[in-house]
Amino acid sequence: MKLSHTALVRAPRARVWKLITDLPTAARCVPGVAAVTPSPGGGYKGSLLVQLGPVRLVLDGDVALTATDETAGKATVRADAKDSRLGGTVRATMDLALIDKGADTELRITSDVQIAGRIGEFGQPVIQRKADQLMSQFAECLARTLA
Amino acid sequence: MTYDYHEPETLAEALDLLAKYGEDAHLVAGATAFTLLWRQGLLRPGHVVGLRRIASLGGITTAGAGLAVGATVTHREAERSADVRRYCPALTRTFASVATVRVRNQATLGGNLAHADPAQDPPPMLIALGAEVVAASKTGERRLPVEELFTDFFTTTLGREEIITSVRFPALAPGTRATYVKFLPQTADDYATVSVAATLRLATDGTVADVRVALGAAGPTPIRARSVENALRGAWPDAARVGEAAATVDVDIAPFDDVRGSAAYKREMARVWTARALTSLVERGA
Repeated sequence: MKLSHTALVRAPRARVWKLITDLPTAARCVPGVAAVTPSPGGGYKGSLLVQLGPVRLVLDGDVALTATDETAGKATVRADAKDSRLGGTVRATMDLALIDKGADTELRITSDVQIAGRIGEFGQPVIQRKADQLMSQFAECLARTLA
Repeated sequence: MTYDYHEPETLAEALDLLAKYGEDAHLVAGATAFTLLWRQGLLRPGHVVGLRRIASLGGITTAGAGLAVGATVTHREAERSADVRRYCPALTRTFASVATVRVRNQATLGGNLAHADPAQDPPPMLIALGAEVVAASKTGERRLPVEELFTDFFTTTLGREEIITSVRFPALAPGTRATYVKFLPQTADDYATVSVAATLRLATDGTVADVRVALGAAGPTPIRARSVENALRGAWPDAARVGEAAATVDVDIAPFDDVRGSAAYKREMARVWTARALTSLVERGA
Protein backbone atom coordinates (compact mmCIF):
# COMPACT_ATOMS: atom_id res chain seq x y z
CA MET A 1 0.00 0.00 0.00
CA LYS A 2 1.43 3.37 -1.04
CA LEU A 3 0.67 6.35 1.11
CA SER A 4 1.76 9.93 0.72
CA HIS A 5 1.52 12.81 3.14
CA THR A 6 2.58 16.42 3.02
CA ALA A 7 2.79 18.85 5.93
CA LEU A 8 4.10 22.35 6.38
CA VAL A 9 6.36 22.74 9.42
CA ARG A 10 6.89 26.32 10.52
CA ALA A 11 10.64 26.07 11.03
CA PRO A 12 13.69 26.32 8.74
CA ARG A 13 14.88 23.22 6.90
CA ALA A 14 18.08 22.71 8.87
CA ARG A 15 16.20 22.48 12.17
CA VAL A 16 13.56 20.12 10.77
CA TRP A 17 16.33 17.95 9.31
CA LYS A 18 18.08 17.70 12.67
CA LEU A 19 14.86 16.64 14.38
CA ILE A 20 13.61 14.05 11.90
CA THR A 21 17.00 12.33 11.62
CA ASP A 22 17.15 11.97 15.41
CA LEU A 23 14.79 8.97 15.50
CA PRO A 24 14.26 8.66 19.28
CA THR A 25 13.32 12.36 19.48
CA ALA A 26 11.22 12.33 16.30
CA ALA A 27 9.44 9.17 17.53
CA ARG A 28 8.13 11.10 20.54
CA CYS A 29 5.97 12.92 18.01
CA VAL A 30 4.26 9.74 16.81
CA PRO A 31 1.12 9.21 18.93
CA GLY A 32 1.16 5.80 20.65
CA VAL A 33 4.91 5.23 20.55
CA ALA A 34 6.39 3.79 23.72
CA ALA A 35 10.10 3.98 24.62
CA VAL A 36 12.52 3.85 21.70
CA THR A 37 15.86 2.32 22.65
CA PRO A 38 19.07 1.73 20.65
CA SER A 39 19.52 -1.80 19.30
CA PRO A 40 22.88 -3.51 18.63
CA GLY A 41 22.54 -3.28 14.84
CA GLY A 42 22.62 0.53 14.88
CA GLY A 43 18.88 1.07 14.66
CA TYR A 44 16.30 1.28 17.40
CA LYS A 45 13.72 -0.93 19.03
CA GLY A 46 10.32 0.54 19.71
CA SER A 47 6.67 -0.15 20.23
CA LEU A 48 3.61 1.51 18.71
CA LEU A 49 0.10 1.20 20.13
CA VAL A 50 -2.65 1.70 17.55
CA GLN A 51 -6.34 1.60 18.39
CA LEU A 52 -8.57 0.69 15.44
CA GLY A 53 -12.10 0.79 16.80
CA PRO A 54 -12.38 -2.08 19.30
CA VAL A 55 -9.04 -3.55 18.20
CA ARG A 56 -5.77 -2.64 19.90
CA LEU A 57 -2.59 -3.35 18.01
CA VAL A 58 0.73 -3.38 19.80
CA LEU A 59 3.40 -3.25 17.11
CA ASP A 60 6.85 -4.16 18.45
CA GLY A 61 9.79 -3.86 16.13
CA ASP A 62 12.84 -2.20 14.71
CA VAL A 63 13.20 1.15 13.07
CA ALA A 64 16.30 2.55 11.38
CA LEU A 65 17.49 5.34 9.14
CA THR A 66 18.71 3.45 6.08
CA ALA A 67 19.77 6.43 3.93
CA THR A 68 20.36 10.13 4.45
CA ASP A 69 21.32 12.92 2.09
CA GLU A 70 21.35 16.20 3.98
CA THR A 71 22.20 18.30 0.90
CA ALA A 72 19.18 16.99 -0.97
CA GLY A 73 17.11 16.97 2.25
CA LYS A 74 16.19 13.31 1.78
CA ALA A 75 16.14 10.40 4.19
CA THR A 76 14.73 6.89 4.24
CA VAL A 77 13.34 5.21 7.33
CA ARG A 78 12.70 1.48 7.45
CA ALA A 79 10.39 -0.04 10.05
CA ASP A 80 9.63 -3.73 10.67
CA ALA A 81 7.12 -4.56 13.36
CA LYS A 82 4.80 -7.31 14.43
CA ASP A 83 1.85 -7.75 16.71
CA SER A 84 2.53 -11.06 18.39
CA ARG A 85 -0.77 -11.23 20.28
CA LEU A 86 -3.09 -10.83 17.27
CA GLY A 87 -0.66 -12.05 14.64
CA GLY A 88 0.44 -9.84 11.84
CA THR A 89 3.34 -7.84 10.56
CA VAL A 90 3.82 -4.34 9.23
CA ARG A 91 6.80 -3.40 7.08
CA ALA A 92 7.18 0.18 6.01
CA THR A 93 9.71 2.08 3.96
CA MET A 94 9.23 5.82 4.36
CA ASP A 95 10.98 8.28 2.06
CA LEU A 96 11.21 11.67 3.69
CA ALA A 97 11.89 14.82 1.70
CA LEU A 98 12.32 18.33 3.07
CA ILE A 99 11.61 21.22 0.75
CA ASP A 100 12.80 24.69 1.65
CA LYS A 101 9.91 27.18 1.81
CA GLY A 102 11.71 30.22 3.16
CA ALA A 103 11.12 30.36 6.91
CA ASP A 104 9.05 27.15 6.68
CA THR A 105 9.74 23.63 5.49
CA GLU A 106 7.51 21.29 3.56
CA LEU A 107 7.78 17.72 4.76
CA ARG A 108 6.81 15.07 2.21
CA ILE A 109 6.54 11.48 3.34
CA THR A 110 6.02 8.76 0.75
CA SER A 111 5.46 5.38 2.37
CA ASP A 112 5.31 1.88 1.01
CA VAL A 113 3.55 -0.19 3.65
CA GLN A 114 3.17 -3.96 3.52
CA ILE A 115 0.70 -5.47 5.94
CA ALA A 116 0.42 -9.20 6.43
CA GLY A 117 -1.70 -11.38 8.67
CA ARG A 118 -4.80 -10.47 10.61
CA ILE A 119 -4.10 -6.75 10.72
CA GLY A 120 -4.80 -6.70 6.99
CA GLU A 121 -8.43 -7.79 7.64
CA PHE A 122 -9.28 -4.16 8.30
CA GLY A 123 -8.91 -3.18 4.69
CA GLN A 124 -7.20 -0.26 3.07
CA PRO A 125 -9.68 2.57 3.83
CA VAL A 126 -9.47 2.02 7.59
CA ILE A 127 -5.68 1.62 7.57
CA GLN A 128 -5.19 4.61 5.27
CA ARG A 129 -7.32 6.82 7.51
CA LYS A 130 -5.39 5.74 10.61
CA ALA A 131 -2.10 6.44 8.80
CA ASP A 132 -3.40 9.88 7.77
CA GLN A 133 -4.30 10.66 11.38
CA LEU A 134 -0.90 9.51 12.67
CA MET A 135 0.94 11.53 10.03
CA SER A 136 -0.99 14.74 10.61
CA GLN A 137 -0.51 14.45 14.38
CA PHE A 138 3.19 13.74 13.76
CA ALA A 139 3.56 16.88 11.63
CA GLU A 140 1.67 19.05 14.14
CA CYS A 141 3.88 17.74 16.92
CA LEU A 142 7.07 18.45 14.90
CA ALA A 143 5.87 21.99 14.36
CA ARG A 144 5.13 22.42 18.09
CA THR A 145 8.49 20.94 19.07
CA LEU A 146 10.36 23.36 16.80
CA ALA A 147 8.27 26.42 17.61
CA MET B 1 -8.05 -19.19 22.58
CA THR B 2 -10.75 -18.84 25.22
CA TYR B 3 -12.45 -16.17 27.27
CA ASP B 4 -14.60 -16.14 30.38
CA TYR B 5 -18.23 -15.43 29.53
CA HIS B 6 -20.27 -13.44 32.04
CA GLU B 7 -24.04 -13.04 31.96
CA PRO B 8 -25.07 -10.38 34.47
CA GLU B 9 -28.78 -9.96 35.23
CA THR B 10 -28.70 -6.31 36.15
CA LEU B 11 -27.13 -3.21 34.66
CA ALA B 12 -25.26 -2.58 37.93
CA GLU B 13 -23.62 -6.03 37.73
CA ALA B 14 -22.61 -5.39 34.13
CA LEU B 15 -21.06 -2.03 35.05
CA ASP B 16 -19.21 -3.73 37.93
CA LEU B 17 -17.75 -6.28 35.51
CA LEU B 18 -16.58 -3.51 33.17
CA ALA B 19 -14.92 -1.72 36.08
CA LYS B 20 -13.34 -4.95 37.32
CA TYR B 21 -11.86 -6.19 34.04
CA GLY B 22 -11.21 -2.84 32.31
CA GLU B 23 -9.57 -3.17 28.90
CA ASP B 24 -9.72 -6.98 29.12
CA ALA B 25 -13.54 -6.89 28.97
CA HIS B 26 -15.68 -6.76 25.84
CA LEU B 27 -19.45 -6.14 25.82
CA VAL B 28 -21.75 -8.14 23.57
CA ALA B 29 -25.51 -8.34 23.07
CA GLY B 30 -26.27 -10.37 19.93
CA ALA B 31 -22.49 -10.84 19.45
CA THR B 32 -22.77 -10.80 15.64
CA ALA B 33 -19.96 -8.26 15.14
CA PHE B 34 -17.90 -9.64 18.01
CA THR B 35 -18.01 -13.19 16.67
CA LEU B 36 -16.68 -12.10 13.27
CA LEU B 37 -13.84 -10.08 14.79
CA TRP B 38 -13.02 -12.85 17.25
CA ARG B 39 -12.96 -15.54 14.57
CA GLN B 40 -10.69 -13.33 12.47
CA GLY B 41 -8.42 -13.14 15.48
CA LEU B 42 -8.69 -9.37 15.78
CA LEU B 43 -10.22 -9.38 19.26
CA ARG B 44 -8.79 -11.42 22.12
CA PRO B 45 -10.52 -10.25 25.31
CA GLY B 46 -10.12 -12.29 28.48
CA HIS B 47 -13.70 -11.53 29.54
CA VAL B 48 -16.86 -11.18 27.48
CA VAL B 49 -19.90 -9.64 29.15
CA GLY B 50 -23.22 -10.67 27.58
CA LEU B 51 -26.10 -8.23 28.12
CA ARG B 52 -29.06 -10.27 26.89
CA ARG B 53 -30.23 -11.39 30.35
CA ILE B 54 -30.59 -7.83 31.64
CA ALA B 55 -34.35 -7.29 31.45
CA SER B 56 -34.15 -3.50 31.73
CA LEU B 57 -32.21 -3.31 28.44
CA GLY B 58 -34.98 -5.01 26.47
CA GLY B 59 -38.42 -4.06 25.26
CA ILE B 60 -40.06 -1.43 23.12
CA THR B 61 -42.25 1.14 24.82
CA THR B 62 -44.21 4.13 23.65
CA ALA B 63 -43.66 7.36 25.51
CA GLY B 64 -46.37 9.84 24.55
CA ALA B 65 -46.09 10.04 20.78
CA GLY B 66 -42.44 9.03 20.97
CA LEU B 67 -40.78 5.63 21.26
CA ALA B 68 -38.11 3.97 23.36
CA VAL B 69 -36.30 0.90 22.04
CA GLY B 70 -34.14 -1.07 24.47
CA ALA B 71 -30.50 -1.69 23.60
CA THR B 72 -30.88 -5.48 23.42
CA VAL B 73 -33.96 -5.39 21.17
CA THR B 74 -33.09 -7.33 18.03
CA HIS B 75 -33.57 -5.90 14.55
CA ARG B 76 -36.22 -8.58 13.99
CA GLU B 77 -38.17 -7.61 17.12
CA ALA B 78 -38.10 -3.97 16.02
CA GLU B 79 -39.11 -4.91 12.47
CA ARG B 80 -42.16 -6.85 13.79
CA SER B 81 -43.18 -4.36 16.46
CA ALA B 82 -46.61 -2.75 16.05
CA ASP B 83 -45.37 0.20 18.13
CA VAL B 84 -42.46 0.80 15.75
CA ARG B 85 -44.77 0.58 12.72
CA ARG B 86 -47.26 3.01 14.29
CA TYR B 87 -44.47 5.40 15.13
CA CYS B 88 -42.91 5.39 11.65
CA PRO B 89 -43.41 2.74 8.94
CA ALA B 90 -40.11 3.77 7.32
CA LEU B 91 -38.33 2.77 10.54
CA THR B 92 -39.93 -0.68 10.27
CA ARG B 93 -38.72 -0.94 6.68
CA THR B 94 -35.24 0.13 7.72
CA PHE B 95 -34.95 -2.67 10.27
CA ALA B 96 -36.43 -5.10 7.72
CA SER B 97 -33.71 -4.15 5.21
CA VAL B 98 -30.81 -5.22 7.44
CA ALA B 99 -28.87 -8.21 6.05
CA THR B 100 -30.88 -11.44 6.43
CA VAL B 101 -33.53 -12.77 8.86
CA ARG B 102 -30.87 -14.87 10.62
CA VAL B 103 -28.76 -11.81 11.27
CA ARG B 104 -31.79 -9.72 12.27
CA ASN B 105 -32.85 -12.39 14.78
CA GLN B 106 -29.51 -12.08 16.52
CA ALA B 107 -28.14 -8.55 16.05
CA THR B 108 -29.38 -5.87 18.45
CA LEU B 109 -29.92 -2.14 18.09
CA GLY B 110 -27.48 -1.29 20.91
CA GLY B 111 -24.84 -3.57 19.44
CA ASN B 112 -25.33 -2.05 16.01
CA LEU B 113 -24.72 1.44 17.38
CA ALA B 114 -21.74 0.47 19.55
CA HIS B 115 -20.09 -1.38 16.64
CA ALA B 116 -20.20 1.87 14.63
CA ASP B 117 -19.78 0.37 11.19
CA PRO B 118 -20.51 3.31 8.84
CA ALA B 119 -22.42 1.10 6.39
CA GLN B 120 -25.07 -0.18 8.83
CA ASP B 121 -28.70 0.58 7.97
CA PRO B 122 -30.39 1.85 11.16
CA PRO B 123 -28.07 4.78 12.08
CA PRO B 124 -28.98 7.08 9.13
CA MET B 125 -32.70 6.53 9.79
CA LEU B 126 -32.22 7.15 13.50
CA ILE B 127 -30.38 10.40 12.71
CA ALA B 128 -33.09 11.51 10.28
CA LEU B 129 -35.74 10.87 12.96
CA GLY B 130 -33.77 12.86 15.57
CA ALA B 131 -33.27 9.86 17.86
CA GLU B 132 -31.05 9.96 20.95
CA VAL B 133 -28.85 7.29 22.50
CA VAL B 134 -29.05 6.77 26.25
CA ALA B 135 -25.81 5.54 27.84
CA ALA B 136 -25.32 4.54 31.46
CA SER B 137 -22.21 4.41 33.61
CA LYS B 138 -21.54 4.20 37.33
CA THR B 139 -21.70 7.99 37.49
CA GLY B 140 -25.16 8.24 35.90
CA GLU B 141 -26.83 8.45 32.55
CA ARG B 142 -26.37 10.69 29.54
CA ARG B 143 -28.28 11.24 26.32
CA LEU B 144 -26.79 12.27 23.07
CA PRO B 145 -28.10 12.64 19.51
CA VAL B 146 -27.26 9.55 17.44
CA GLU B 147 -25.16 11.64 15.01
CA GLU B 148 -22.90 12.66 17.91
CA LEU B 149 -22.21 9.04 18.92
CA PHE B 150 -19.86 8.22 16.03
CA THR B 151 -16.36 9.64 15.65
CA ASP B 152 -14.60 7.35 13.18
CA PHE B 153 -14.63 3.88 11.63
CA PHE B 154 -15.86 1.52 14.38
CA THR B 155 -15.30 4.26 16.96
CA THR B 156 -17.77 6.05 19.22
CA THR B 157 -17.73 8.63 22.01
CA LEU B 158 -18.74 5.90 24.48
CA GLY B 159 -16.40 5.56 27.42
CA ARG B 160 -14.91 2.18 28.32
CA GLU B 161 -17.26 1.94 31.31
CA GLU B 162 -20.44 3.05 29.53
CA ILE B 163 -23.26 0.84 28.26
CA ILE B 164 -25.95 1.87 25.76
CA THR B 165 -29.28 1.25 27.49
CA SER B 166 -31.84 2.46 24.94
CA VAL B 167 -32.63 4.66 21.97
CA ARG B 168 -35.26 7.37 22.38
CA PHE B 169 -37.27 8.58 19.40
CA PRO B 170 -39.01 11.97 19.72
CA ALA B 171 -42.65 12.55 18.82
CA LEU B 172 -42.80 13.39 15.13
CA ALA B 173 -44.65 16.54 14.07
CA PRO B 174 -47.92 15.67 12.31
CA GLY B 175 -47.41 15.32 8.56
CA THR B 176 -43.78 14.19 8.85
CA ARG B 177 -42.86 11.84 5.99
CA ALA B 178 -39.90 9.49 6.19
CA THR B 179 -38.00 7.14 3.94
CA TYR B 180 -34.88 4.97 3.85
CA VAL B 181 -33.33 3.91 0.55
CA LYS B 182 -30.20 1.89 -0.06
CA PHE B 183 -28.28 1.30 -3.25
CA LEU B 184 -27.47 -2.40 -3.55
CA PRO B 185 -25.89 -3.10 -6.95
CA GLN B 186 -24.70 -6.57 -5.93
CA THR B 187 -26.94 -8.65 -3.64
CA ALA B 188 -29.97 -7.85 -1.50
CA ASP B 189 -28.21 -8.77 1.74
CA ASP B 190 -25.02 -6.82 1.01
CA TYR B 191 -23.94 -3.63 2.73
CA ALA B 192 -25.13 -0.60 0.80
CA THR B 193 -22.88 1.21 -1.66
CA VAL B 194 -24.59 4.29 -0.25
CA SER B 195 -27.81 4.63 1.74
CA VAL B 196 -29.99 7.64 2.43
CA ALA B 197 -32.56 8.29 5.15
CA ALA B 198 -34.71 11.40 5.10
CA THR B 199 -37.64 12.98 6.90
CA LEU B 200 -39.62 15.88 5.46
CA ARG B 201 -42.53 18.02 6.56
CA LEU B 202 -44.24 20.58 4.35
CA ALA B 203 -45.85 23.78 5.59
CA THR B 204 -49.42 24.58 4.58
CA ASP B 205 -48.12 26.77 1.74
CA GLY B 206 -46.19 23.83 0.30
CA THR B 207 -42.70 24.99 1.31
CA VAL B 208 -40.38 22.76 3.32
CA ALA B 209 -41.02 23.35 7.02
CA ASP B 210 -38.52 20.77 8.20
CA VAL B 211 -36.14 18.28 6.66
CA ARG B 212 -33.43 15.95 7.95
CA VAL B 213 -31.15 13.85 5.75
CA ALA B 214 -28.50 11.31 6.75
CA LEU B 215 -26.32 8.91 4.76
CA GLY B 216 -24.69 5.57 5.42
CA ALA B 217 -21.55 4.16 3.74
CA ALA B 218 -20.60 7.66 2.60
CA GLY B 219 -17.67 8.23 4.98
CA PRO B 220 -16.03 6.91 8.14
CA THR B 221 -19.26 7.43 10.12
CA PRO B 222 -22.97 7.75 9.33
CA ILE B 223 -23.26 11.38 8.18
CA ARG B 224 -25.97 13.98 8.65
CA ALA B 225 -26.25 15.97 5.43
CA ARG B 226 -26.77 19.44 6.83
CA SER B 227 -25.92 21.17 3.53
CA VAL B 228 -28.81 19.37 1.84
CA GLU B 229 -31.14 20.27 4.71
CA ASN B 230 -30.12 23.94 4.62
CA ALA B 231 -30.56 24.11 0.84
CA LEU B 232 -34.13 22.82 1.13
CA ARG B 233 -35.51 24.22 4.37
CA GLY B 234 -37.98 27.05 3.68
CA ALA B 235 -37.83 26.42 -0.07
CA TRP B 236 -40.46 25.35 -2.54
CA PRO B 237 -39.42 21.74 -3.27
CA ASP B 238 -39.86 21.56 -7.04
CA ALA B 239 -37.71 19.14 -9.04
CA ALA B 240 -35.02 21.74 -9.77
CA ARG B 241 -34.66 22.77 -6.13
CA VAL B 242 -34.58 19.16 -4.92
CA GLY B 243 -31.88 18.40 -7.51
CA GLU B 244 -29.81 21.41 -6.43
CA ALA B 245 -30.19 20.52 -2.77
CA ALA B 246 -29.22 16.88 -3.40
CA ALA B 247 -26.07 18.02 -5.23
CA THR B 248 -24.86 19.79 -2.07
CA VAL B 249 -24.49 16.37 -0.40
CA ASP B 250 -21.01 16.36 -1.92
CA VAL B 251 -19.84 18.79 0.78
CA ASP B 252 -21.12 16.64 3.62
CA ILE B 253 -19.74 13.24 2.67
CA ALA B 254 -16.26 11.68 2.64
CA PRO B 255 -16.55 8.32 0.83
CA PHE B 256 -13.62 5.99 0.16
CA ASP B 257 -12.71 3.43 -2.48
CA ASP B 258 -13.66 -0.16 -1.68
CA VAL B 259 -15.18 -3.24 -3.31
CA ARG B 260 -18.56 -1.48 -3.52
CA GLY B 261 -17.22 1.34 -5.67
CA SER B 262 -14.73 4.15 -6.00
CA ALA B 263 -15.05 7.28 -3.91
CA ALA B 264 -16.01 9.24 -7.05
CA TYR B 265 -18.75 6.73 -7.92
CA LYS B 266 -20.14 6.84 -4.39
CA ARG B 267 -20.22 10.65 -4.52
CA GLU B 268 -22.33 10.45 -7.67
CA MET B 269 -24.58 7.75 -6.19
CA ALA B 270 -24.99 9.77 -2.98
CA ARG B 271 -26.33 12.67 -5.06
CA VAL B 272 -28.63 10.42 -7.11
CA TRP B 273 -30.05 8.54 -4.14
CA THR B 274 -30.45 11.67 -2.02
CA ALA B 275 -32.49 13.19 -4.85
CA ARG B 276 -34.57 10.00 -5.15
CA ALA B 277 -35.26 9.89 -1.41
CA LEU B 278 -36.31 13.54 -1.27
CA THR B 279 -38.38 13.33 -4.46
CA SER B 280 -40.29 10.33 -3.12
CA LEU B 281 -41.12 12.27 0.06
CA VAL B 282 -42.23 15.41 -1.80
CA GLU B 283 -44.42 13.44 -4.20
CA ARG B 284 -45.90 11.13 -1.60
CA GLY B 285 -48.58 13.46 -0.24
CA ALA B 286 -49.15 13.84 3.48
